[in-house]
Amino acid sequence: MILLISAAELYSQSGAQDDLFSPNNRLKFANHLYAEKDYLRAIGEYKEFLKSADNDTARFRFANSFLRIGRFDEAAQNFKILFIGSKLEEEAKLFYYQSLFFSKDFNAFQTNYDSRFNFPQKYSLTLDRLNSATYFLSKTNLPSGNVLIKPFDDSLQTKLIYYYLMMKNPPKKNSVTAALLSVAIPGAGKVYTGELTDGLIAFGATLLSGFLAVNNFQHDHNFRGWLFTGLTAFFYGGSIYGSAASAQIYNARLQFNLDSEIKLFFEERNYFLPKIDL
Amino acid sequence: MRKILYILFVVVSTAYSQTDWQKWEAKQVSYELPTKSVAYAQNENASLAGTFLNSLKSAYSFLISDYDGDNCPFSPSCANFFVEAVEETNLLSGTLMFADRFTRDMNVFKGVNHYPLHKSGKYFDPAGNYTLNLQKIKFEMVNN
Repeated sequence: MILLISAAELYSQSGAQDDLFSPNNRLKFANHLYAEKDYLRAIGEYKEFLKSADNDTARFRFANSFLRIGRFDEAAQNFKILFIGSKLEEEAKLFYYQSLFFSKDFNAFQTNYDSRFNFPQKYSLTLDRLNSATYFLSKTNLPSGNVLIKPFDDSLQTKLIYYYLMMKNPPKKNSVTAALLSVAIPGAGKVYTGELTDGLIAFGATLLSGFLAVNNFQHDHNFRGWLFTGLTAFFYGGSIYGSAASAQIYNARLQFNLDSEIKLFFEERNYFLPKIDL
Repeated sequence: MRKILYILFVVVSTAYSQTDWQKWEAKQVSYELPTKSVAYAQNENASLAGTFLNSLKSAYSFLISDYDGDNCPFSPSCANFFVEAVEETNLLSGTLMFADRFTRDMNVFKGVNHYPLHKSGKYFDPAGNYTLNLQKIKFEMVNN
C-alpha cells in the first residue's frame, strides 16, 4: 500500500509542471492551426508567441494569416517588419506587394512599385506582372502598351494587346448619334446600336400608326386621326429616347464584359503568382 | 367568311390565352421579401404624379391585368416599369421610357436580345437601365 501511494504521488499528474501556454507550445499550436488553415485562431496564437519571442517564420506566417483572411493592411505592416535582416526578406517583400495588390489600393501599389528598392531579382518578373495587372484592373493612367505587356509570355501577349486596345479606344456608340438617327428614321438609332429587330419594330409601329393617322384624316375621321397621331408621337418619341438609352446600355455592356473578361483572365491564372509554402 | 373568322378567333384565343396556367399550380410558399419591382409598385412616399400613377395602375390591375394574367415577358412588368420610370425620372421621360419598352415588348425576337433572365424566368429589364444615367445601369440582379 505504501509503495502504491508513493508511486502514485511520484508519477501522477506529471504534466502539471509543464506550462501549456509556454511560447514553445503556443508556437506548436499556432503552426498546427496554420497548417489546418484556421488562420483567424492562428493569428491569436502567433500574436501571443511573438510577444515573448521573435521568429522569422512565425512572423511570416502571422502576416500571411492576415493576408489569407483578407486583412490586407495588417498583413502589409507585418511583412514590412521582415524587410531588414530576415532570412525571409525576399518572400516578405513579394507578399507585401501581394497585400497591397489584393487590398485593391492600386494607386498605393503603383507608388510603392515605382519607389521600390532592393527588390529580389528572382521575384522581379512576378512583381512586374502584378504591376501590369493593376493597370489592367484599374484602367487609369495607362502607360504604353509595351511596358504593360512586356512581362508576360508571348502566348498571352495577343490577348493582352486586345485588352489594352479595348481599354484605350473602346468601340463605343454615341447616344446623340443614335438619337439623331432615330429622328431621321424611327428605329435607325437602335439598328446603329446593334438592336436590329427592336429598330425594325419601332420603324414599323411608327410607320403604321402614322399611316393610320393620315388615312383617317383623309376620310374625315378626325377623332381616330388624332388618336393615331398621338400614338405615332408616342412611338416616335419612344424610338428617339430608346435609341439614346440603347447606346448607353451598349457602352455599359461593353465595359461590363471587358471588365469581367480581364478580371477572369488574371483570376484564372492566379495573378501569375508563384506558389510559395512557408 | 364570317364563320371562318369566328373559328379562327376562337382557335387563336384558346391557343394563346391563359398562358399562365402554371400560376395556379401548387407551389412552395416563399417567405422571401418582395422584389424591388413589387415593392416599388405601391410607393407610400410617392409624389402627386406618383399617387395618380399608382391609382391608374391599381385600376389597370383590377380591371385588366388580373383577368389577363401574368403574361408580361419582362420583369418588372410593363405597368410596373412605367411607375418606376416616372418615379426615377419625371412624367415626360417616364412616358418615353414606357413607349420604348412597349415597342420592345412587341418584338417577337426579344429572346434573341441579351436580356439577363430574372429568377422568375422573365427578362430582367429594370427602369434604371433607361434613365440615361450610366451609373444606374446594371446587368446583374442584386437581391432580386
